[in-house]
Amino acid sequence: MNNILALAPLLIITIGGLFILLLDVFLKKDNKDYLGYISVFFLIGCSFVCFLFWNTNKSYFNGSLILDNFSLFFSLLLIAATFLVILISMKYISLQNSNHGEYYALLLFAFAGILIMLSTTDFIIIFLGLEVLSISSYVLAGLKRNDTKSSEAAVKYFLLGSFASAFIVYGIALLYGAFQSTNILSISSGFSSSPQPGVMAIVGFGFVIIGFGFKIAVVPFHMWTPDVYQGAPTPITAFFSVAPKVVGFAVLLRLLIPYFKSALESEAIFSILWVISALTMVIGNLAALRQTNVKRILAYSSIAHAGYMLVAVLAQDAVSLGYYLTVYLFMNIGAFSAVIALNKKNKEYVELEEYSGIGFKYPWIGVTFSIFLFSLAGFPPTGGFLAKFYVFSTAVRKGLTTLVIIAVLASLISVFYYLRIIIHMYMKEPTLDVSIHTKNPALFLVLFICLVEVIQLGIFPGSILSFIKEALTTMSLF
Amino acid sequence: MNIPILSIVTFLPLALAFLILFIPKERSTHIKTIVLTGSILNFLISLVLYFRFDPQTAAPQFVEKWEWLGFGINYHMGIDGISLFLILLTTFLMPIVILSSWRYITKQVKEYHIFMLILTTGIIGVFVSLNLFLFYVFWEAMLIPMYFLIGIWGGGRRIYATVKFVLYTMVGSLLMLVAIFYLYSSYYKATGIFSLNIFDFHQFAIPPNVQIWLFLAFALAFAIKVPMFPFHTWLPDAHVEAPTAGSVVLAAVLLKMGAYGFLRFAMPIFPDALKIFLPYLSVLALIGIIYGGLMALIQKDIKSLVAYSSVSHMGLIMLAMFSLNATAVEGSIYQMLNHGLSTGALFLCVGILYERAHTRLIKDYGGVSKVMPVFSVFFLICMLSSVGLPGLNGFVGEILCVFGVFQTNKVLAILCVSTIILAAAYLLWMFQRVMQGPITNEKVRSFKDLNLREIMIFVPIILLMFFMGIYPKPFLRKMDASVEHLLKKIQPKQVVLEETPLSKLPDDLQIPSQEQENTRVIKDVNQP
Repeated sequence: MNNILALAPLLIITIGGLFILLLDVFLKKDNKDYLGYISVFFLIGCSFVCFLFWNTNKSYFNGSLILDNFSLFFSLLLIAATFLVILISMKYISLQNSNHGEYYALLLFAFAGILIMLSTTDFIIIFLGLEVLSISSYVLAGLKRNDTKSSEAAVKYFLLGSFASAFIVYGIALLYGAFQSTNILSISSGFSSSPQPGVMAIVGFGFVIIGFGFKIAVVPFHMWTPDVYQGAPTPITAFFSVAPKVVGFAVLLRLLIPYFKSALESEAIFSILWVISALTMVIGNLAALRQTNVKRILAYSSIAHAGYMLVAVLAQDAVSLGYYLTVYLFMNIGAFSAVIALNKKNKEYVELEEYSGIGFKYPWIGVTFSIFLFSLAGFPPTGGFLAKFYVFSTAVRKGLTTLVIIAVLASLISVFYYLRIIIHMYMKEPTLDVSIHTKNPALFLVLFICLVEVIQLGIFPGSILSFIKEALTTMSLF
Repeated sequence: MNIPILSIVTFLPLALAFLILFIPKERSTHIKTIVLTGSILNFLISLVLYFRFDPQTAAPQFVEKWEWLGFGINYHMGIDGISLFLILLTTFLMPIVILSSWRYITKQVKEYHIFMLILTTGIIGVFVSLNLFLFYVFWEAMLIPMYFLIGIWGGGRRIYATVKFVLYTMVGSLLMLVAIFYLYSSYYKATGIFSLNIFDFHQFAIPPNVQIWLFLAFALAFAIKVPMFPFHTWLPDAHVEAPTAGSVVLAAVLLKMGAYGFLRFAMPIFPDALKIFLPYLSVLALIGIIYGGLMALIQKDIKSLVAYSSVSHMGLIMLAMFSLNATAVEGSIYQMLNHGLSTGALFLCVGILYERAHTRLIKDYGGVSKVMPVFSVFFLICMLSSVGLPGLNGFVGEILCVFGVFQTNKVLAILCVSTIILAAAYLLWMFQRVMQGPITNEKVRSFKDLNLREIMIFVPIILLMFFMGIYPKPFLRKMDASVEHLLKKIQPKQVVLEETPLSKLPDDLQIPSQEQENTRVIKDVNQP
């Protein structure tokens, strides 16, 4: 019975998804907004259940399902993300003619996949969750059926995504061959018990990292990101930029924490991650410089941010990574919401040119967007700065000074392109006549929430930070 | 109950900015009046700092310290004789700056004043912070309003200038951030305590080879801000493109943040590295003096002439600071205030001319004094203050600086006098071409002389110039204790690090117990 209860968060979301699919059939076209509210309702229910399990730290189904604070924290984080994404979608999808019931159902299914991935230590189950997440994502990317760019995004995402999944499966198989287990914990204890792990184990481990490197979009596995982010419906882009990344890092943490504990600093995986992190920061930021499409700029910026987060992974600091992910969630969804705010019937404004003079024409959107951009660039007193401060200061303490120097120089590059958007918004005369649909209370609520959080996380992170600490130090593996 | 007066002075402008946010933008006169009143009020409050400041002690005063984020990140504020006057300079100039842009700013009046107020908070915050984290927050946050001020209300190449300004400043400050991380972590490793308190680092002895790198990172950030010779190229651009008020704030206060950074951080925390780099830095400062002066001579644009004069004057300030004796350091702090007043005033003068003719080129003027006699008197006084005429403030600062440099290095002293000669040359020549001679441009004939508002801008500055030139004592004596303390802090740490056994030290160098602590810390650091 306990086992069934432990499935509650997952069941709520899955039932919610199915219910919405069913309800979609009976609802008139004008009333589809209700589906959004209903899915929000299910998400809130799920978060309550997550809180019920807080601090219980038990495993169920013979260890296949684990509800510890680690998984619950990341689940709650992603509930927040999905919640915000649904709110920014409601008006958007009716304006962009993609108001289908499947939209919300697929989002919930994707989230169910995320829940599965977070609450297990078994690779097979992680893979199951990953596929649930990925397949929903492929469809979501292509939901703007009349837009070729959207279809391109879906196909690209599908091809490269399944390629990455294949890597993960192959890696899991090799690891199974080496250690006769698919459980992360026994694999890592296998790593730590044998001083010289075989080639098979190293290659398998590397394949798994490559697969997840694709999901969190790090260089050189980032090629899909800009195209998919550009083509997908913007709220889905916001979802893509946050959800797979958070999940990917959560799984990487589970995977790497025990590994690092036993690993020497000179080990292969460590240096590979080091190089990937440096490359991600530098290339992500450099590539963003030449973009003229705001969604693409934000895509490259999210690649670069994955690089900063890898610094936290290398510094073996789960708390600062958790903090970074929290801040990143709010500032990135906030930035995308600001982009979504600038749309009207069948038209989105995403080119830099179209942003000229927006700052004074729509002052509130301009101000909030600027604050999100300053936060992404890491200016104090926003959350973005404090997150970088925590990550980089821990990294220096752990002796990663060179990497931190690369990181700060890369973030210097990033300042340039974030400022470019602001330059267009405030310092150029408007060239085009931009008019937007302003009646969108849910979206403005999201902008407000994100704004408050970004500033709160920059100045008074006290309660959230201690929550993160409580969640991530109970793993007690650091 | 203790009134947190530093917090009030720092955050009153920010609170005001928040208030302005809710005033509809059509009511621009209300906005301007509120901002002006608020900034005058802030100045009056900051005067309390001056009168209640105790000149006998070098310890930080008006200290406020609260736990903030843990891990050594505290809300820690306090001032000493060095920062006191820089804060007063900021609060003194703010109402003047607001008044000067009363008519000049016509578009987006509300946003302009909001950014001005945020900028004020940022600047004052830099001077009052005693925690490196807090300092860095203000140091970086201040870039944002300045970026908008230049970028929105600036001249033709404003976007280029503002991006250059931000990127230049960020290169330095990001590397400084890494150095701060390094300091933070090595302090933790040596003592087991997380701290970002500046005074903890003053006591903390760092191995000289590490000091070199950390010093370079800090020095680069501050040298860009000052700006010292090879890093000065952002300054003329930023000055030329910025609106008058932006230029005034930039010249008068922002540049001082770099010099202040050297005094507060780079020099006392890394005395050994300072000793190594001192000759190079002095030479760079000297090059700045001469190069800035020569460049000013050939400028066609009045604003960039004043900007290059800034480079030259800041060179003298830095050179004096690097002479490391009480006269020179006090002279350099005093000269910072003078430079703030006189260069700020010169930019105001340029702004007055620009509002009338909408050109900054020297050749478009000529004979202005015939139509604007009152203005010409003010302009003359400001210019002579910048040149260093006895009786005006510039003289006192320059003479102290040169005397101080002379005590340390006679050759440098002789060469640095060229700043005064060059200043006389380029400023007087500029004055001659702009204000005197026949009227060549017909537009000049229609110039109106200063109105009451514009006179009110200059009167307080000019009164203060005379006061500081004739009676500098109330300023200098408040600095004595802090400067002496600073110099002492730079000296004995060197002795300790040369690892002279304590018993062999002569009596007059007997190190107090605090330094014995340091010797232990060094050993700890050296032993892995």
